Amino acid sequence: MSAPSSTRVDPVTASVIAGALESIAIEMGHKLARMSYSSIIRESEDFGCVICDGQARQLAESSQSTPLQSGPIPGYIRGINRRFGELGEEWKPGDVVIHNHAYYGASHGPDVAFVLPVFHRGELVAFSATTAHHLDLGALTPGSCGIVDAGDAYAEGLQFNAIKIEEEGRRNEWIWRFIRDNVRASALVVGDMEAQVAACRIGAERFEELIARYGIATIQGASEDLMDYSERLLRREIERLPDGSYEAEGFIDGFQDHPNPANRDLRVRVKVTVEGSRIHVDLTGTSPQIDLPLNMPFEGTVDIAVYLTIRSILLDSDLHGDIPANSGLFRPITITAPEGCLANPRYPAPVIARFCPGNIVADTVMRALAPLVPHNVSAGVGNLKVVAYSGLGEGGQHWVYMDIQEGSYGGRYGKDGLDAVDTLYANTRNNPIEDIESHYPLRVTRYELNVDNAGAGRWRGGLGTVREIEFLAPGGMSLEGDGSVFPPPGLFGGGDGTPGRVAINHRGENHVEAPSKFPYRAAGAGDRLLLVAPSGGGYGSPAERDPAGIREDIADGVLSPERGRELYGFEE
Amino acid sequence: MRVVGVDIGGTFTDLMLYDTETRAVHVHKVRSTPDDPGRAMIHGLVELCGNAGITPASLDGVFHGTTVATNAVLEHRGAEAGMLTTRGFRDIVHIGRHQRPQHYSIMQDIPWQARPFVKRRNRHVVTERIAPPAGEVLEPLNADEVRAAARALKRAGVESVAVCFLFSYLNPEHERRAAEILSEEIPGAFITSSSDIFPQFREFERFTTAIMNAFVGPATGRYLDRLAGALATEGVPGKLHVMMSNGGVASSETAARKPVTLLLSGPAAGVLGGSWAGETSGRKRLITFDVGGTSADIGIVTESGIAEASARDTEVAGYPLLVPMIDIHTIGAGGGSISYVDEGGAFRVGPRSAGASPGPAAYGHGGEEPTLTDANVVLGRIDPDRFLGGEMKLDRELATAAVQRLADALGLGLLETAEGIVTIANANMSGAIRSRTVQKGHDPRDFALVAFGGAGPMQAAEVAESLGIPEVIVPPYPGITSAMGLLTSDLKYDQMRTVFMTEGAIDVERIDREIGAAVDELRARLREDGVADGEIEVAAGLDCRYAGQGYELRVPLPDERFGQDVLEGFHRLHEQEYGHAFRDPIEVVNLRVTAFGKRPRVELPASGNGGEPLLGEGQSVFRRNGSLTSHPTRFWERSLLAVGATVEGAAVVFQRDSTTIVPPGWTARADASGSLILSR
Repeated sequence: MSAPSSTRVDPVTASVIAGALESIAIEMGHKLARMSYSSIIRESEDFGCVICDGQARQLAESSQSTPLQSGPIPGYIRGINRRFGELGEEWKPGDVVIHNHAYYGASHGPDVAFVLPVFHRGELVAFSATTAHHLDLGALTPGSCGIVDAGDAYAEGLQFNAIKIEEEGRRNEWIWRFIRDNVRASALVVGDMEAQVAACRIGAERFEELIARYGIATIQGASEDLMDYSERLLRREIERLPDGSYEAEGFIDGFQDHPNPANRDLRVRVKVTVEGSRIHVDLTGTSPQIDLPLNMPFEGTVDIAVYLTIRSILLDSDLHGDIPANSGLFRPITITAPEGCLANPRYPAPVIARFCPGNIVADTVMRALAPLVPHNVSAGVGNLKVVAYSGLGEGGQHWVYMDIQEGSYGGRYGKDGLDAVDTLYANTRNNPIEDIESHYPLRVTRYELNVDNAGAGRWRGGLGTVREIEFLAPGGMSLEGDGSVFPPPGLFGGGDGTPGRVAINHRGENHVEAPSKFPYRAAGAGDRLLLVAPSGGGYGSPAERDPAGIREDIADGVLSPERGRELYGFEE
Repeated sequence: MRVVGVDIGGTFTDLMLYDTETRAVHVHKVRSTPDDPGRAMIHGLVELCGNAGITPASLDGVFHGTTVATNAVLEHRGAEAGMLTTRGFRDIVHIGRHQRPQHYSIMQDIPWQARPFVKRRNRHVVTERIAPPAGEVLEPLNADEVRAAARALKRAGVESVAVCFLFSYLNPEHERRAAEILSEEIPGAFITSSSDIFPQFREFERFTTAIMNAFVGPATGRYLDRLAGALATEGVPGKLHVMMSNGGVASSETAARKPVTLLLSGPAAGVLGGSWAGETSGRKRLITFDVGGTSADIGIVTESGIAEASARDTEVAGYPLLVPMIDIHTIGAGGGSISYVDEGGAFRVGPRSAGASPGPAAYGHGGEEPTLTDANVVLGRIDPDRFLGGEMKLDRELATAAVQRLADALGLGLLETAEGIVTIANANMSGAIRSRTVQKGHDPRDFALVAFGGAGPMQAAEVAESLGIPEVIVPPYPGITSAMGLLTSDLKYDQMRTVFMTEGAIDVERIDREIGAAVDELRARLREDGVADGEIEVAAGLDCRYAGQGYELRVPLPDERFGQDVLEGFHRLHEQEYGHAFRDPIEVVNLRVTAFGKRPRVELPASGNGGEPLLGEGQSVFRRNGSLTSHPTRFWERSLLAVGATVEGAAVVFQRDSTTIVPPGWTARADASGSLILSR
């Protein structure tokens, strides 16, 4: 037990303010989820709510939002500040800013931020901000995922670069009308945006109440202490690691059906250097940027994938309890990626489908760290797929539905991998089948575990799922996914997992295999899309697996006796 | 009428006997018998009746809060259970919502994957499919497959089966038929249908609720049977009622069919008891604050009754649960909460607790880490000689030594540290209350805080002060308020149905018809329980949302019929709850009806019959205007305070089952209702 060398605020007040800040962010998240319209926010929880200080440093995030939405928010605000700087503009009381520019800190275009400044006696002291994934932003085809044929940033939909949608308390109806006129399913999209603004207002009001109660100087002191605290926790863990450099490689399917080989089998290379209480992550050696949207914004996607993976390993909340999620956690980590590579593209390279490559960055960082912390990592993780289903309803109104298929984790020390979950830097939820079929002309015809193909190991990989959806009326679909070519790698002698699959069935004909991403294509009533998620890699030699575990797997039908013999030499 | 409430806790079983005619009350406490909780209950009941000079046979009802089902879930000890589900969807209960419970963890377990209620080998699929919007049968149920699955389950030694089909909330026919076949093939098995437990959409949550029911069903049924049998032996047949999570009681037969409705049986009784104390003191808006050694339970009561949890937010042990429940928010903060400096140097209190063993350092049972109770001792707010009526002597030196060790680590003084422990614990509790009030559109300044449990009355005044709550009510028996709550609860049954209708296409006739049918059915059930028609009350409501939203708000239907004011009421409710109304088309999602069998009111005689209430004086430490100051403090015996007597803070009021702290600037008054009311 040792006290920190110096704090600005007494530890009692610091503890009270830390709790108050977190409860503000949680209240924002609670209300945003309940007020919003589209299932991608209300059911999948693909949103983020954050309170930042006046320097755009995160003080607290809502616990129910997904990491890939909350994490980037400080970057969004820095991007707005950069844009304001270029324009000679500044924050004013009563402003509300909409922002989604991926080369100004945004994670990618569909994740739109709304930011409210909080002023105290003329000084900018805080930001109340939310991000959320929007169903449609007026890209070339319906939906905001699977726009995998976008040739540049302009094809990805509307770009908002630090736009004041309210200026000093005056609502700019023209911008709202402009949005309404340029997006599909506009009632849902605009309703979700209004919900975001309402949630930001709640955050700002609560922060003002906090100032009234404790005074701004005390809050600022407590905020600095809070960030120092989180930073100190992470540095302590890094100090325990041996200094040195550790490398790993991961692969992205890319566009398997594309004539240009430069768009296939893309590489992510990671070198993690540990030095004292610092970690540097270098992505040199990662494939050059391409003219299709698998490029990843350096700020907003790559940085978040790296930060969140390192903190999930070194400050695993299951082992360390909840750690205040603030910008202090990012201080011990630096990242570089050469300009012009997938992980640091030049404008206007398209980035909208950056989710899956980012997951490979996260998985590769984990693999590089694995030899240092073998008890805290998993073997290779199975990647995700996201589908935009859409169609025209009566009256010419679009319906758009985004369906996220989960992946799976690799085996871990002492435990098999998690089955059928969202992975690493994201944590969304699926939409209930009973909700999907009640609201869209779709029928889910299958959703269960994909058995008998987990990566073998002392602790086996997690199982992916099989999910099949049928169109009940004509419409269209587009897909962004990955993991159909490269299996999630095994670790420490464990077997590789199994790649996923995509197949399309036209009205009762046989399934036709399709790549892990395809742009919008029309679909008729009766057409079905079958998605198979990858299964995670194994951990440790299969020869060391406890026979009881093999027996249980066979009894539960997730391993066939034949595969049990083949992989483990198991005979009953 | 003579009725008994029995609350079985981990350490003690509390019993309270009340005679509605004479208003006589007898309380009794016996050691719990965790291996067979009913033993302590029967034994205590016989002793209680003996003390009161009556025979058990003269009792009109026994009301019971049970943790049997809850413990089965928490400890994952339940039946070997099976499941039948729709072909193609074997693993809905394993995949869940595909979200990891923790964002930032590689090594976490997922409860429903690591500890399933039904193993995959016992999850069988059968051909059938129902479709929305009207529950049309796309594929008929294949009865042969059901029979084959039933036989396989029987061979596997399964004694309990849940039937979980997609869209069964729209059309329960397939589930009913499958359940019949299962009963034929596995005689004596405990059969659950998901649509019977709770016919609401969202398959993972509904199926999980059903398999949880299957998991805890057989053991809970056996327990309640045994209890009813033992009561019959004592001459009290057919009188056992059980507290449900919704804050009502059910006959033991109804409870045994749906044990999954009992998971908050214990804490719900506490909220009921707190609600009763507030009402008898004439207050309508209450925050119930039940603080024990390990946790604090918070409930909200308004003019429209006890707040219920939204079905989207209810869970037990990390598993989602779709049954009506009182909105009880539990946090890990109590008298035994341990304070420490964590590895990052932050000063924390709880959620780790010293529990009952070893307990706070002051108990002298080997506890070395400072707890909230120790901090109160150091500050002079608890007299070590009078804790719990003097039954348990506290050791001030051990408490001081434990707090001093923490003070050294923090570089603070002893009193600073002790006061810091109290302040941080209070802030945690205030934060929890804020999340139930401010975050839901309620202003805590319009509420009274009802404080009970062993530690509630110690912290209540300062917690209230930090939230601007003007009044604290301490019930007559703060330590056994749950047993009291059991005596005050109504019989209560719920019915619901998912409909999905959008404004402009609302089938008013259907809503009125279905609600009417539900009302009739619930009235019939209450009549079966012996409730007279005049004692039945009905409340109907609609769960609504803006079309496209995913969360519903409940709009009451005052005369059990749909009217246009319902829609206006929804806009208002949305504005109140979230601070914003959209004025978009409204979707009706669920119809709900609750029927109550009203029970006689409990009114306690006022106490304070002579004797000198002032026990002595001492010094205690409080933070006032930013600095720590020592205040002369009077110690009082609660049972001797006459009605209307007032006590000025700083003061401590002692009684056998709790201790009330009256800080400087506060006054406590003995109310005619029997409660102690603190105000500033």
